[in-house]
Amino acid sequence: MEAYIGEYASGKSENAVNRALALHADGRDVTLVDLDTVEPFYTLRPIKRSLEAQGLHVIAWETVDTVGLGEAGSLLRADMRWALHQQGDVILDIGYGVDGAKTLQLLQGREACPELRIIAVINTSRPMTASVEDIVEYVGELGPVDALLNNTHLGDETNLTVIREGARLVEEASRRLGLPVEATAVDERFRHLLDASDVMNHSIRYLQRWMAKAYW
Amino acid sequence: MTDQTINQQKPVQGEKRMFMTGNEVIAYAALAAGAEMMCGYPITPQNEIMHYWTRLAPKYERRFLQTEDELSAGFSTLGGVLAGRRAFTATAGPGNVLMQEPLSMAEMMRIPIVLIVQQRGGPSTATVIYSQQEVTLTCYGGNGEGARIVYSPSNHQELYDYTLKAFNTAWTYRFPTFILGDGYQAKMRESLTIYDPAVRGVQMVPTEPIIGGPGAPGTEREAVHLRNTFNTEEELYEIITAMMGEYDRIAPSIVEHEAIQTDDAEILILSHGVVSRATAAAVRELREAGIKVGSFRPITLRPFPVEALRNALKPVKKMLIVESAQGQLAKLCKEAIYGETTPIEYIFKPGVGVTAEEVVAKVKAMA
Repeated sequence: MEAYIGEYASGKSENAVNRALALHADGRDVTLVDLDTVEPFYTLRPIKRSLEAQGLHVIAWETVDTVGLGEAGSLLRADMRWALHQQGDVILDIGYGVDGAKTLQLLQGREACPELRIIAVINTSRPMTASVEDIVEYVGELGPVDALLNNTHLGDETNLTVIREGARLVEEASRRLGLPVEATAVDERFRHLLDASDVMNHSIRYLQRWMAKAYW
Repeated sequence: MTDQTINQQKPVQGEKRMFMTGNEVIAYAALAAGAEMMCGYPITPQNEIMHYWTRLAPKYERRFLQTEDELSAGFSTLGGVLAGRRAFTATAGPGNVLMQEPLSMAEMMRIPIVLIVQQRGGPSTATVIYSQQEVTLTCYGGNGEGARIVYSPSNHQELYDYTLKAFNTAWTYRFPTFILGDGYQAKMRESLTIYDPAVRGVQMVPTEPIIGGPGAPGTEREAVHLRNTFNTEEELYEIITAMMGEYDRIAPSIVEHEAIQTDDAEILILSHGVVSRATAAAVRELREAGIKVGSFRPITLRPFPVEALRNALKPVKKMLIVESAQGQLAKLCKEAIYGETTPIEYIFKPGVGVTAEEVVAKVKAMA
């Protein structure tokens, strides 16, 4: 069980979706849960059915269910609250920031769930997490965190220099925080262009872009 | 204070390439512009401007006031400006409607307020997501013929550049100045260069107290007599006439547009803001297919680039106006080109995004 939290637009949803699909590709039974109650209109909703077609169980709102709820329709459904009781692997995509992280406290059975790992997604091209000091301060505000995930990129302008520098900063921040680095995530197009030595020997996760299809 | 400590207080130092959302870009641009206070009331899709401002303001000794509604947010911001603060606010949709009362006062009293609008669907509460339906309101929402300046940026770099510029335009000309963004630009993520204006040679126009300056009014200095109420119609007529005359004189130095491949264009596509990204992509694709098409984008919706549009129309046989609204840009355009007989077709998608593919298909049908 993994929960992806972090700064606004840090890549939480992209990493949660890709992680869920990777586990599914290993033959595992995976449930992906959209727990973004901070910004319920900008979440997995537009790609829910495509993800289900890939074989994932997806707990998320559908557009048809949200019609009539209006702007204040940020509800935690029962199946979201009981998400930790799902069979198999559970991947949680959490809303942004400190208030997003607080959503975890609403989950039934959270205290009795030692296997839940909370992973903070960091992109050092985001101004609020651009330096080691900023990352340490930001992660400190989020509450319990088990690991950092380096997701440093500059969109289409990402290059090896950006990735290497991000890995270096996140590695340094993880040492100061006493937390492991879960992985460095990079776009699929870098698959044959880098190895572990480029990213401080972090394990590498290659990302397919799913959220780009979520055209609101 | 040493140079080093001053430098450390700059929220944006030098230049750096960053990956940001539009709302965040605006908060950083306002900080870099030296904005000292923001007053605001929450409304999607502008909320993160406030979120980021409130997270960053304490670090750089800036101020924030959350008021009870947009009327108060607008008037409180005006108070800050009158006291000489570089102050701004941000809103959307129904909040923009409420903002029009303080903004109308700013027009009458010539108060250089900066307002960021991130358009959402309308009328009324409608959707929180996106539209270009606040063009008429943002350009002409005051009561009376108030004068204001409205920039419509189309990407994150422009959001940054024009937010900096809006403060200088407002304080140079003393007209309220707007950045008209939208929900897509607010939430979209893309890379841009953020910079300290000083490293680009951009000087921020100094602010000064508009009321409450030093010296005794009437004896040591001219009394400041700001008015938004007049006893006689003759007084008002004189003030409005002078104001509109001044606006017309300064308009040529403010007006901005972007024209793409208009020199030989037989079909001209007119759009603004985020939609012009789709029309620019459509022009590239259509040119590759051998169709003589160009695009024209007003960057200032008010003042409108009348002369530039009329020039761009010279070789044009047909025109296409594309917007995420039911003809608000079209109305501005038709007023600007009064007397022209170019046939016009439209893609109006109120509250919905426009793709390059739709524009390509429409132009091919027109060609």
